[in-house]
Order: sequence, then structure tokens, then C-alpha cells
Amino acid sequence: MSELNSKIPVTIITGFLGSGKTTLLNRILNGNSGRRIAVMVNDFGEINIDSQLVVSAQQNMISLANGCICCTVENDLIEQLHNLLTLREGPPEFILIETSGVSDPMKVAHTLKYPQFRDKLSIDSIIAMLDAEQFSQLIGEQEQVAMCQLAAADIVIINKTDLAEKEQIIELKKQWLFPKARAFETAFADIPLELLLGLEHEKHQQTLTSELNGLVTCVDAQCDHTEHQHDKLFSTFSWESNKALSLPKLRRVLKELPNTIYRAKGIVYLDCVKDQSCIVHLVGTRINIEKGPDWKGKKPSSQLVMIAWDKLNKANLTKALETCIA
Amino acid sequence: MNDKSINYPSSHAGIKQGKADKILFNGKIYTVNEQQPWVEAIAIKNGLIIALGHLKSMDEHIDQQTILIDLEGKFAMPGIYDMHTHPDLALAPGYAGYLDVGLDNPTPDDVKNAILSYADENPGDGWIYGQYYVQFTFKKEGLEMGREWLDNIISDRPVAILDRSWGTIMVNSEALRLANIDKNTPDPNNGYIERDSITNIPTGILVDGGYALIHAAMPPTPMHALKRAYRECIIYQTGRGVVGTKYVHVCEHRLNAMKAIDDAGEMTLRVEAAISWQDDIFPVKRRWELISGERHFYRSDRLNANAVKFHFDGTHGVKSSYLATPYEGDTSWRGSLNMTPEHLNDMLIDMDRKGIRVIAHCTGDAASDLFLDAIENARKEGYNRMRHQCAHSTVLLDQNLARFKQLNVTAEFSPVGWYPYPFANARAEANGSERAKRLYNFKGVLDAGGIAVVGTDWPVSNINPWIGFEAMITRMNPDKNDDSKFHGEAISLEQAIRVMTINGAWCMGIEDKAGSLEVGKSADLIVLDRDLFEIEIRGNIHNTHVELTFLEGELVWDRQGKFNESKFKAIWHNEIPNFYDGME
Repeated sequence: MSELNSKIPVTIITGFLGSGKTTLLNRILNGNSGRRIAVMVNDFGEINIDSQLVVSAQQNMISLANGCICCTVENDLIEQLHNLLTLREGPPEFILIETSGVSDPMKVAHTLKYPQFRDKLSIDSIIAMLDAEQFSQLIGEQEQVAMCQLAAADIVIINKTDLAEKEQIIELKKQWLFPKARAFETAFADIPLELLLGLEHEKHQQTLTSELNGLVTCVDAQCDHTEHQHDKLFSTFSWESNKALSLPKLRRVLKELPNTIYRAKGIVYLDCVKDQSCIVHLVGTRINIEKGPDWKGKKPSSQLVMIAWDKLNKANLTKALETCIA
Repeated sequence: MNDKSINYPSSHAGIKQGKADKILFNGKIYTVNEQQPWVEAIAIKNGLIIALGHLKSMDEHIDQQTILIDLEGKFAMPGIYDMHTHPDLALAPGYAGYLDVGLDNPTPDDVKNAILSYADENPGDGWIYGQYYVQFTFKKEGLEMGREWLDNIISDRPVAILDRSWGTIMVNSEALRLANIDKNTPDPNNGYIERDSITNIPTGILVDGGYALIHAAMPPTPMHALKRAYRECIIYQTGRGVVGTKYVHVCEHRLNAMKAIDDAGEMTLRVEAAISWQDDIFPVKRRWELISGERHFYRSDRLNANAVKFHFDGTHGVKSSYLATPYEGDTSWRGSLNMTPEHLNDMLIDMDRKGIRVIAHCTGDAASDLFLDAIENARKEGYNRMRHQCAHSTVLLDQNLARFKQLNVTAEFSPVGWYPYPFANARAEANGSERAKRLYNFKGVLDAGGIAVVGTDWPVSNINPWIGFEAMITRMNPDKNDDSKFHGEAISLEQAIRVMTINGAWCMGIEDKAGSLEVGKSADLIVLDRDLFEIEIRGNIHNTHVELTFLEGELVWDRQGKFNESKFKAIWHNEIPNFYDGME
């Protein structure tokens, strides 16, 4: 997966003021994910970094001891992305971009696909956070902005569920969520980092289960997150085949996956691209299949790993994927 | 006016016999001529001023045909000049009759029905172009946006629909075919063509700069829309006392629209049209024909296309203005240029030789530095024919202030951004504190003996020229609720009047025959509802009403319709177009 890995994954986080974006970003910046993450925010106003972590601070860029960087987008995303890509200590391993509460995340996503960036950056996902209680009261321009944010989102985080009535959440889902939308409900912006950052690196994939157990935090606010049984919450599924797959069939099956599957990753052997491997990257409703490296004498085969936030019917999944065989 | 029956005067023909055609008297007329700054009466013949002074000294100019017009003690001055504006961009798209779904949150079915009924009402194989669709509503219904969805509605004629956030356009296969967009088409730099990730075939979604590819394939903005846009703007400007203007960025279609207005005798101000050097706003298919001589076919005493306009740098908002030192907070980024300095050098010499004025969009202080360098090079090589124009001049280097006079270049300040309001404040912020002091430096250019002029750059700032006029003298918001002052220094009322009048004429190369009220010059004057020298400036110039506008001695605007019953009834009277809410 070297070609895909040479691009820096970028996750865009969108949501209105008060939806919990800053709480989440503060946790990432002050935590220890083991990765050099650059967090781009609109301004430092709400950002709260443990001063002991600060290694250096320039006008619009703060470097932290855990390898993270926090910088402001100011009004030129393009220039600030250039700055991050040309850092003296090397580019970050992961970029998180917070979009302001009133802006359209699609504009940021479009910028990342411009010719000058698309070989260096890849969109991992767009995540929309919404405040369960506030979201039912949007009108006029706010409603239009909410539409932009949700239209762009691959995963929807419904936050502050502790403050909302059950009926409110049901109504919110009915009014706002798409048929295949991946919606994760939580309180206190308590989101598993792997949901956000994915499993781009092979080392993470090899130790998938243990990583999950180590990193995943719980939606239960009373839980201390240490010795907790997470198997109930997350499950993984993997599938292999050495027969060539049909691209349209594979796309259809991936599109129809259960809503609980929020990430899938893998290499596939397609009948329309026989000489090269193809790489599948699925986050929520984002499905991307791209050409990867040549097989180089290796026997072509497909390997897919999927992660869900609930139990999976593995037999059904296997059956569905087998229909993709050309 | 190209009316064939018109009486064109020449050395041995066409000079009318008799005395003055009109005498305006009982005015407080400020002439902008230092030798004779104030007069009470002006005698006009054949559109020219033949005498200024007191009515009682004008007996020798009066015969039975002379019309005497009493100005009733009102203040008058030379007509004013707006040296950079875009009526076509401001108005024509709205007049073009494109598809408008017209709903707040249209569903895919709403969009489909709108396309089908537009096709019924506009049969044939022409483009169906318009707005808008909403991505959310497609996703909510689990539909894929793109050419396949559109092809299922209409496949035999091109369809292009903008999305609500205007970041993308969705087109059908026929539109892609006509625009020559296929899997091998390279992406434009400021956008991209969305493609299937495996086959590379375009999906029919084009992002940002990607839709310029569609616009280039579409027919130009319809003539009726262009004509209406220019005509309404001309009425508006005439009603505000503008006698000379520049419509910056034109193509052959825009010139055709202007010529139709001129031919109808409705061009009630002088227009210099600048041909676009680049295709970044709209394609100019006959650019080289126009520049090599076709432009002369549009020429009259009211209209010329002896100018070109290009975007040398970008804008401060996206940090593409080209600056002498990096942007604040950046270590190296200075902005960017849209063409090389060498390209500019060669084109400047070529245009100067042809008698074409070069109007260069230079918002950053290094862009204007390079522009002035290019002119200096051309001057050294003996190319001294044209007075070129540094457009916008948002921020200038102090070292360049004297070069405007030395090199015979106009410093054009636009859009009106020299008083505190969100647009201007954003420019100041993008420039940073050191550069903010140098923003819109009228005083610097004038003190160094140079010529400064104003452009509204409509629709970037308001088309009403009196707002910028007042703010030049106050550097404050005409709205009295805000007492803050904008960066930079103000100029005096007398200086501001020169900027709005004689300097405009200079910028159009007609200062020897217009721009001030002197014997032998064109009788271009305006009568106001207030005396600019008697009022408190703050809050009282921006809302000035022009009662009468005379161009070449002809009454072209009469606000009260006072002369509607006379034989010199104004061509425009009583009503001025109102283009948007809250416009003074």
C-alpha cells in the first residue's frame, strides 16, 4: 500500500459552534495517539493546550512534545497546507482540519483535490458533529449550512445525547440522516480515535484487535476507560479471495454494507485492472477505489478488513462479497 | 452617436451660424480652472463652451435662437468620471433568462421538473444552464449526482446546473462532449474535473475552476442581456452625473451591445472599453482581430475600445495580491502573478505602439512596481505614446509615488475601500499593519504631482460614485454611526473634485477638451442639489443628487423633469434604476 500511504491522510471536522469539535480537538492535542498529527483550527481562541507540552510557539503554529502541531488556517488554507508539507522536521503523519461553524466543508475538500495537492494529500474522511439538542431548531441560513455539512459528511457524530430526549434523536435522524448514513451517538465528544484517524499504517492493521482494545474509549461517561470490555462495541471482519472481482458489483456491495460498518480497507483484484492491485478505502459513506501498485509476480488476490461499531453478521457479509466475483 | 443625419463639424463645413445655442446663468459654477475658479454663467455653442463669466457680459453671444437656462443659484461643476466599472458582470447574468429552479431547498424531482419545463419553453438544441441543485437533497434520497442522473432527464442537448454553494456544476454527457472534456482532459489549476477513480471518465461534476471549461463552451451571455445591462448602467451613471467611464473587460459581444446603444443615440456618457487580455472571466474569441484593428469599427465620439485590461496579480482576500514583502505571519509567501514580467514588457511595448492603453490590475505593491518597471523600460526604448493605467492600486510602495508623474501613468484607486466597512477592513487586515497605512494612497500620488482617479469597480463596490467621493475627504463611513477613521490620509475637497473630474478626463486622454469648464472645452457639467463648499462634508456628499447633467451642451439628465415640456427635453429624466436594496 505504499502509494496510498505516501499521501498524508486528512480528516475534515465540521459542525456548528457548540457541537463539541473543540472538546474533541483538545483531547487529541493533549493525548498521546502515537502519531504526529497536525490540527488546523480557525483560531486558537478555544484551544486549550497543556503548557508543559508546548515545545515552540510561533504566531500561527504551536509544536507539542507529543509530536502534534496545532496551527490556524487564518484565511489561506492553501498557503498553510504548503507550510505543513514543507516543515523542516518533515510533514505530519495526519492532518485534521476544523472548519468554522458557518463554512461549507465541501470547499475545503475541493481544495485538497486541486492538482497541487492531490498527489500529497488524500481525504481520509469528513466528519460532521452535531449537537443532538440544538440541531432540531435550525432555520433559514443555518439550515442551509447544516445541509452542506451533512451532504459532505462520511460519518455523523451525534453528540450530547445525554442532554437530548430519545424522541428528539429519533426525529433528528429521520429529518437529517441519509439512508446509508453512519451515525455514531456519544456524549462529551467522546469518540474513539480510530474512528477518526483510521488505520492507515500497516502496523496498526497487523495488531488490529489489540489496537482497538487499547485505543477505543467508551461512550459510557461513568467509565474510566481502562479495563473495559470493548468487544461488545466494536467488531471486525475480514475477507479474502484470489478470484478477480467485478468493479460495478463491488461498488454496489460496498454501497449497501450495513450502516454499522464505518471503515473498510484493503487490496482488491479487479477483472478490469488485471495488472495492478486496487486499493479500497471506505469511511462511512465515502467509498474510494483507486489503482495501486503492480502485482509484481505476486499472486493477485483480494483482502478486505472492515470495522463496525456493533456486532456483524459475518456469514451475510461473506455471501455478499462472494457475489462480486466476476 | 453614429446617426447618419448628424451634423459633424469639420474645418470647412458643419459649423453652425449664429451665436450661443444655450446660456446657463445664475449658477454657482465651480470650473476646476485655477485661472477662473468660479463663474455665474456659461455660453455653449456646438457643444463647446464659448464664454464663461457673468450673464451681463454675455450680450455679444446672445441672439434670438439662444436658449437661456436659469440655474436658480444652484451649485454646478464639471461632470464626474468613474474610471473602472463592470455593468455587464453586475447585471447581465440576471437578465440572461437562464434556468432558475426558484425554490429554497429543491429536491432532485424539483430540479428535474424545472429542467423539463425549461426545455419545453426553450425548445431546440441550445444549452440549458442555470441554478441550482442542493447536494443534501440528492444524498437524502440516495441519488448519485452527475452526468448519468442528468442524461436520464435530457441527453440530446447540453445541460449544466450549478449547485447552491456555487462550488460545483453538474453537467450531462452532451455538455461534456461540447466542452471537449473526456478522461484525457487535464484539470485546470484552480479546480478539477471529478472522475471515476478507476476509469478516469468524468462523472459530470466539475469543481471550482472546472466550470470555466463549461462556460468556455457555452454561447456568450445573450446580446439582449448585455445590452440591457449596459443601457441601465448608462442611465444610472448619467443620473449620477458621470460623463466619462471605463467598462473594463469586454469582448466582441460586449462591444456589439455597446455599439447598439451608441447607434440608438442612448450613450449619454463617454465610454472607454478595455478588451480583456486573458480569458479568465469570459472567452474573447476575436481578441487579436479587435486589437489589430477591428476595434475601430466601434469608435465614435462617445465610444472607443482603445484599451486592454489584464489581471497581473490576484486579490488580498485569497492572498494572491503580489506584495513586495511576505504577508503578515508568513515567511515567504508574497502572492502570485498571472503572467510573467517578460510577457508584460513585450505586450506593453506592442500596445503602446498600436495606440492602445494598458490597464493593469495591480492590487499588491510589487505588482504595480513591476508594472511601472515595464513602462519605464518601454519609455526608455521610445514608446511614449500612451498613458497607461495602474488599476486598483490598493497598496503602493512609497518609492513609486513619484513614478506616476515621471512615467505618465494614472494611479486608479478602486473599488471604494477607503472608509471603514467590512470589505475595506478585510483588505486592511490582509495587508497587515505596515501596509495598511499605505492603502489607497491618493494623497501620496497627488503630492508627488501624479494623477489619481477613482473607479467603483461595481459590483465590487457600490456603483454610486458619490460615496467614494465623500470618503476621499473624510476616510470615514458616510453613515454617522461609525466615527472611526480608515487608514491613510484624507485629501481636501478641491483635490477630491479634481480627482473626480479633470483627472478622469486626463485618464481618458481628453483633458484638453473635457474635465474642466474652460473656453473651447466640451460643455460637460452637472447641477447639484447642494453646494459642496457650503455643507459639512461628512455624511452630506455621498447622498448628493444630481439635478441636471449636460454632456456636450446637451441635457441628458433632468431629475425633476423640469424641462420635459421644452424642446431640449432630457433623454433620461425623473427615474433612476435601482439595482439593489439600500442603494442611495
